[in-house]
Amino acid sequence: MSSLSSKIQDVFNEPGCGKNQGKSEKERKKGCTKQLQPGGAAGGCAFDGAKIALQPITDVAHLVHGPIACEGNSWDNRGSKSSGSNLWRTGFTTDINETDVVFGGEKRLYKSIKEIVEKYDPPAVFVYQTCVPAMIGDDIEAVCKAASKKFGKPVIPVNSPGFVGPKNLGNKLAGEAILDHVIGTEEPSYTTPYDINIIGEYNLSGELWQVKPLLDELGIRILCCISGDAKYRDVACSHRARAAMMVCSKSMINIARKMEERYGIPFFEGSFYGIGDTSDALREIARLLIERGAPAELMERTEALIAREEARAWAAIEPYKKRLTGKKVLLITGGVKSWSVVAALQESGMEVVGTSVKKSTKEDKERIKEIMGEDAHMIDDMTPREMYKMLKEAKADIMLSGGRSQFVALKAKMPWLDINQERHHAYMGYVGMVELVKEIDKALFNPVWEQVRKRAPWEETTWEERADAALAAEAAALAADPELARAQRRAARICKCKAVDRGAIEDAILAYGLESVEAVTERTHAGSGCTGCTGTIAGILDGIEDWRPAPSAEPAKRAA
Amino acid sequence: MSQNAEKVLDHFNLFREPEYINLFESKRKEFEFMPPDQQVEEVREWAKTEEYKEKNFAREALVVNPAKACQPLGAVFAAVGFEGTIPFVHGSQGCVAYYRSHFSRHFKEPTSCVSSSMTEDAAVFGGLNNMIDGLANTYNMYKPKMIAVSTTCMAEVIGDDLNAFIKTSKEKGSIPADFDVPFAHTPAFVGSHITGYDNVMKGILQHFWDGKSGTVEPLVRQPNESINFLGGFDGYTVGNLREIKRIFNLFGIDYTIIGDNSDVWDTPTDGEFRMYDGGTTLEQAANALHAKATISMQEFCTEKTLPFIAEHGQEVVALNHPIGVKGTDRFLMEISRLTGKPIPVELEKERGRLVDAIADSTAHIHGQKFAIYGDPDLCYGLAEFLLELGAEPTHVLATNGGKAWETKMQALFDSSPFGKNCKVYPGRDLWHMRSLLFTEPVDFLIGNTYGKYLERDTGTPLIRIGFPIFDRHHKHRYPVWGYQGGLNVLVWILDRMFEAIDANTNIPAKTDYSFDIIR
Repeated sequence: MSSLSSKIQDVFNEPGCGKNQGKSEKERKKGCTKQLQPGGAAGGCAFDGAKIALQPITDVAHLVHGPIACEGNSWDNRGSKSSGSNLWRTGFTTDINETDVVFGGEKRLYKSIKEIVEKYDPPAVFVYQTCVPAMIGDDIEAVCKAASKKFGKPVIPVNSPGFVGPKNLGNKLAGEAILDHVIGTEEPSYTTPYDINIIGEYNLSGELWQVKPLLDELGIRILCCISGDAKYRDVACSHRARAAMMVCSKSMINIARKMEERYGIPFFEGSFYGIGDTSDALREIARLLIERGAPAELMERTEALIAREEARAWAAIEPYKKRLTGKKVLLITGGVKSWSVVAALQESGMEVVGTSVKKSTKEDKERIKEIMGEDAHMIDDMTPREMYKMLKEAKADIMLSGGRSQFVALKAKMPWLDINQERHHAYMGYVGMVELVKEIDKALFNPVWEQVRKRAPWEETTWEERADAALAAEAAALAADPELARAQRRAARICKCKAVDRGAIEDAILAYGLESVEAVTERTHAGSGCTGCTGTIAGILDGIEDWRPAPSAEPAKRAA
Repeated sequence: MSQNAEKVLDHFNLFREPEYINLFESKRKEFEFMPPDQQVEEVREWAKTEEYKEKNFAREALVVNPAKACQPLGAVFAAVGFEGTIPFVHGSQGCVAYYRSHFSRHFKEPTSCVSSSMTEDAAVFGGLNNMIDGLANTYNMYKPKMIAVSTTCMAEVIGDDLNAFIKTSKEKGSIPADFDVPFAHTPAFVGSHITGYDNVMKGILQHFWDGKSGTVEPLVRQPNESINFLGGFDGYTVGNLREIKRIFNLFGIDYTIIGDNSDVWDTPTDGEFRMYDGGTTLEQAANALHAKATISMQEFCTEKTLPFIAEHGQEVVALNHPIGVKGTDRFLMEISRLTGKPIPVELEKERGRLVDAIADSTAHIHGQKFAIYGDPDLCYGLAEFLLELGAEPTHVLATNGGKAWETKMQALFDSSPFGKNCKVYPGRDLWHMRSLLFTEPVDFLIGNTYGKYLERDTGTPLIRIGFPIFDRHHKHRYPVWGYQGGLNVLVWILDRMFEAIDANTNIPAKTDYSFDIIR
């Protein structure tokens, strides 16, 4: 495990990742092995993260070494699309049993690789480590090395067993695996000055194909998309690209940065969600390519294409804009792409009234990105009544979120649209934006919402009336009893990762005269986990006058 | 020969063998003198045009592929819903064979029904003797508690008087004088199976309530708190009536299902043949007079029965085959209003679950266009549910729908923004529907088994809801009423949608990049 832990360490030293760099030396050392809160509803594990990151590589056999749990529950569970092989959809697992646990599963793994090579002959086999074989000491790297030599075929170990940390860490470890074993191992048959990589795009619902024709028209070649609709050879040759775009997600930043370091491929962070963002991304791609030696006229053609496509998209949105302008959207996402969706929504005349973090109501898209950390689906911890309160205060007309929050939204009687990985429509590029607006329009005007928000016709009181009454009673109780209000305010759990309550933060601010989020984090550790609560902490600091105890009530020594 | 004793090929495969293919081909060429393929193709294409549709809709006499059945079929449906009752159809026995096979193919159960087997001489001299002998034989052979007499066209054309014939039969001693023999005239050249249901239902109630054709004193109504329920002609009667009983039991009220055929069409296989099973007892049928009110689930199936009941002093409520949230709300609120009982918490939860299920799947159904055909009330209930789902019931067609139904459907369309482009087609047939599916295509078709030809010809995926369903088994066991029933209909619609998506994405290495396991 020493190589694995050093790998994790390495990932955490990632200079491209602001979050990790923001952590103290000590905390960085701990990496993502921090204890998840037992009893909490946690997100996916590192194995899952690694698997979803690489699974979209279409023509390799993805072999999961472990008991049936890991592959059995994750087999073919993503809507990535392939323009070629569908081997990626086939579920390969060693399905280890009790005997393997006692005597070791390496032989079974080796035989499984052999059978895959014999029966499927894929260009490569990716072997995913899971908790059980990692715990019993199966050395998949050694097995892969031996198998690779024996069968004359790349067998890539993806060493990211579930227990090492959350999904996001798995994404990065998967990136390390292909950096170590795949990228740069083959040479493209030819190169052009217009070759780019797109990193961190998974071609969910075939989204990439909504952008690819634009690049095709400009003569820009996607040498490799990591990993949506990629073939093994594409990944192996990807080190010859002239420039790279990292699709608004930190999950694969290590790939982008290390490819820059090793192969001199400059990258930028961009998004194809929303009209303006798509245009910016295209411009940026052209700029980087020109910097690397492509003819300058590329920019003119790019601008011409942008002008044409923007006009076309606006024209297509126009009929909806009338219906959607002023509609209020509540955004709750599972971490990916949230800020670019905000831009997209604003473009179609809608108003984003908030995210699940209350303080972000008026934040710009950059702010939302900061607030919504990876995997932070805070909605999980919300009771339907809290949710209702939030929806009511936000006066939202629709909620956009990932599938995990879908059911909470529905129970709270909220129109809802899926914008995460299980969505059925592709929202990328100019046409995707039109599609998103169309879907929002459909969701907003579906008659079921009227039904959902109405009481049963025989009901004396509505669900809302009951909830309002309960909220009013609660507010009255708090107003009548300042001490109770104070206790309740202080009991609110601000940082879920580090289990820090508001009271502890307030006390620290007062006791040490803290003035910045960083200082609070340093003192209380709040905000040092997923960083999803830093916005809330900033809010506590900003609103100090609202909660600071009156001088007479607080002993003077504190202030000193 | 491809067909031999070693390996006998069935009909699926035999005629695909080369020798048969050659044989058919040369037969076409040398003997049948078919027009050239190209011309056939041209005509076929022409039949899809607006021009053809206009000609099709200008048809005045011919009916092609009717979406309705005859009165006597409905008569048998109603009659088997009473305890120990055998339907006796006065007329030719061939008709009766149809009703029995029709029901047996749908319900996968035997359907007992006898006829007076009128032949040519009876047609000339009248069917009195057939009635006398027929009633005697039926009474002695099948030991029924009641014989419900209806007619076929043959008896109606010659004008046989059922009342007089039954009286004479009793006088001649073929059956005891006090044996219950209600009757109804049910000629197929008037109305459809829903009319037959109505006539027999009214006939049976009239028999018990109005003094059994003058043989006893009419009953005097002594109002109580009970509620009568009439399901109407309904292909889902087995599942529906059981669901309705559960709903009434949850309310905890006295009720009578008049014409409860849910058991006789779902008898257990346990070594005992049940010619009769369950059903409304004759006592219940008589006592139904005293009920506080009668709810009819299908207005157009009870156009005569309900007014008859109302004349006897009860309140009557007519619904239109309610499916879904709003429809079921209305149904339950009527029960609640009539009985003064609150709507059970259990049902309220089921309501929430149905709303939840609709909300979960709504994105798939929203904006989809449907064509519906079937009986008038069923069409109404389905259309109302589709509007509730945000779908558009673009074409709604009932061969046995009339002016009143048309007005009612139009009012329903007008009540929803999703009904804006929808149209109602009373008195039209499935060949009209075929034209509509070509000239104004929709995403899905809802109808009975006969819709499979439309599905094949037009490529419109068929959702099988209606009567009869011959080519899928056991659907009649599932309710479509109540919130649970709404859930079933929702699932059937969704299942077909997802099948269509799968079928559209399943070509390996061509379209299967979208052949997803999560939909």
